[in-house]
Amino acid sequence: MTQLDVGRGSGRWTRGQALRAAVVGGAAVGGGALLGRGLDAGASAAAPSVARDQEIMGFLLQLEQVQEALYRAAIKAGRIDGELREYVRAVAPQETEHVAFLAKGAAGKAGKPPPSDFSDVIHTPEGFRRAAIDLEELTLAAYIGQGANLTRDAVGGLARLVSVEARQAAWLRDIAGEMPAPRVADPARSPDEVLTALRDRSYIL
Amino acid sequence: MTDLTLADLDRDEALGEALETLYGSTRAAFLRRAAFGGAAMLGAMAVPSPAAAAVTDLEILNFGLRFEYLQATFYTQADELGTIKRMIPRKQEWAHVLGAHERAHVKILKSVLGPKAAKRPFFDFHGTTETDDAFTRTAVAMEDLTVALLAGVTPQIQDRGLTAALFGLLTVEARHAAWARNIVGATPAAAAFDDPRSLGEVRTVVRRTGFVVQRPSTTMRRRAPQMTG
Repeated sequence: MTQLDVGRGSGRWTRGQALRAAVVGGAAVGGGALLGRGLDAGASAAAPSVARDQEIMGFLLQLEQVQEALYRAAIKAGRIDGELREYVRAVAPQETEHVAFLAKGAAGKAGKPPPSDFSDVIHTPEGFRRAAIDLEELTLAAYIGQGANLTRDAVGGLARLVSVEARQAAWLRDIAGEMPAPRVADPARSPDEVLTALRDRSYIL
Repeated sequence: MTDLTLADLDRDEALGEALETLYGSTRAAFLRRAAFGGAAMLGAMAVPSPAAAAVTDLEILNFGLRFEYLQATFYTQADELGTIKRMIPRKQEWAHVLGAHERAHVKILKSVLGPKAAKRPFFDFHGTTETDDAFTRTAVAMEDLTVALLAGVTPQIQDRGLTAALFGLLTVEARHAAWARNIVGATPAAAAFDDPRSLGEVRTVVRRTGFVVQRPSTTMRRRAPQMTG
């Protein structure tokens, strides 16, 4: 457990912990190399613009496409049942809607779906749960990391979407017996960090 | 699992009465049946209104602080009254964690606002902190309302750093809402997009609940029985 986690049964927070969480949650994260394209490393210092929104949405689109691919693969494999199956049936169409929304927002900056491989994780409920939690958490952190780089119009659209991603993450964690809300403020991660994590876990190739 | 309706949550009708005042009895009756937090309900609540006046970051943050005070006090009072202790372990954990988070959110917002932070309001929860059922239903409603509030005000924030920070709080409140809904058997993520609500809409709903009062009550309505061994 990290210092930012609230463990089971733990209910007290020091001022230092709360502020540290606030700082982490509020960190504006700069850009980095994207899948096959690049956001300037110093782009977070630039003023938000429609063009910048499109680049960011193109990046977030790819994360949603990876999630959608996992859920589709899990449904096809047919190895999950009970609450997990109910979760996938509810969430998979939501990810499809998110993909459509971001593809429209990315306009000409939308790339192809990244190649993904979930063959090692979809054949057991445990493997699927772990991969799905990883993807949901990384995606959330990516959205938060871009919060400061978006125009207000884009923030308006993505705020309605990121909250649903958080609901999905909490639901899944509850099913898995993990703390649904492990921190007082969720952390931000840069595109580089998110993509490196996805590659390290072999979710994208 | 089914969608939760306001009628399921709000048997005391605190929020329902507020809706009736706001939207009339016919629409309020519809809203009570509509899935709480779902697009149908919140879409119906988005009545045409005059263009929202621009609000400052300070106003948004101070409203957020007062709302966090409300939530934190709600959970703390339920704890002090022994209501949480009487719940099943799974719900005790949920209530304790959410209470700890809301108290931490108060500290965060006070820290950000510094000397401009609003004072802590006084509250009267009209018995909703005293029983498991009333507490749970009210908590679910409050958490979903918080998500709608943050989704609505975050785009209005001028300071880009604060926007990112509010994203990080919005996602935690959405986790709370999903967890709460799962606790009561409602779909935690009922739609692909959450519906935002303006600061003014949320202020009106809160005012109609009567939870915020002018002065502190001098006695608790009913304390849990004291165990004297």
